[in-house]
Amino acid sequence: MASRSKEDNLFYLLIVGLFGWIIPGGGHLILGKNKHAIIIFVTIVLTFCTGLYIGSVGVINSVNAKPWFLAQLMNSPAVIALAYISKVGGYAVYARPNEIGQIYTSIAGLLNLLCIVNAIYWAHLRRMEPVGD
Amino acid sequence: MSIADAFITASFTVPEKIHVDPHSMLWLLPLVAAIAIVYKTTKIPKIKAVNFIREVVILFGSIVVFMVATAITLCVLAWLITE
Repeated sequence: MASRSKEDNLFYLLIVGLFGWIIPGGGHLILGKNKHAIIIFVTIVLTFCTGLYIGSVGVINSVNAKPWFLAQLMNSPAVIALAYISKVGGYAVYARPNEIGQIYTSIAGLLNLLCIVNAIYWAHLRRMEPVGD
Repeated sequence: MSIADAFITASFTVPEKIHVDPHSMLWLLPLVAAIAIVYKTTKIPKIKAVNFIREVVILFGSIVVFMVATAITLCVLAWLITE
């Protein structure tokens, strides 16, 4: 049975987690779970875009809504660019559209966090299996 | 910028008009669907269309029924306290 070093395993898990963050479903794609990856990608991107459509890009507010922004950041690093666009453009959004938009985009981020953790867990299980009988 | 580009940009830079009324609660349904789909995707190791859709529909229904039951309970509670 071949053995793998702890550092190798940690690096692999880190890569899986990182890909899952950069592209929703990316972690599952690395693991060869293509169906999972496609479903996760489509669902999370659609949920996030619905939030942006309802409340406009102004719902990504890194200055006055930091806790929401942290959850939104879990979608992808691209949210940082959207936060910059929102800040420079001064897209104001209030009341119900703001609430619903923030909830949609933040829930999409938290769902992606769940998928990242799930991909890391499956990657860890796979590494624990015996190799080459 | 073409008309299509301008339309898409405008869609994401101007908020929708949503009023604070009972109808606005319907916006929770697509969100519940997304939660049910992603949650079931993480739980099922091998996805088969029929089985997956059935699981998602059951979870979606469970969440909606529980939320409606909670809303009714809270309404009754509020009515009992205020009457």
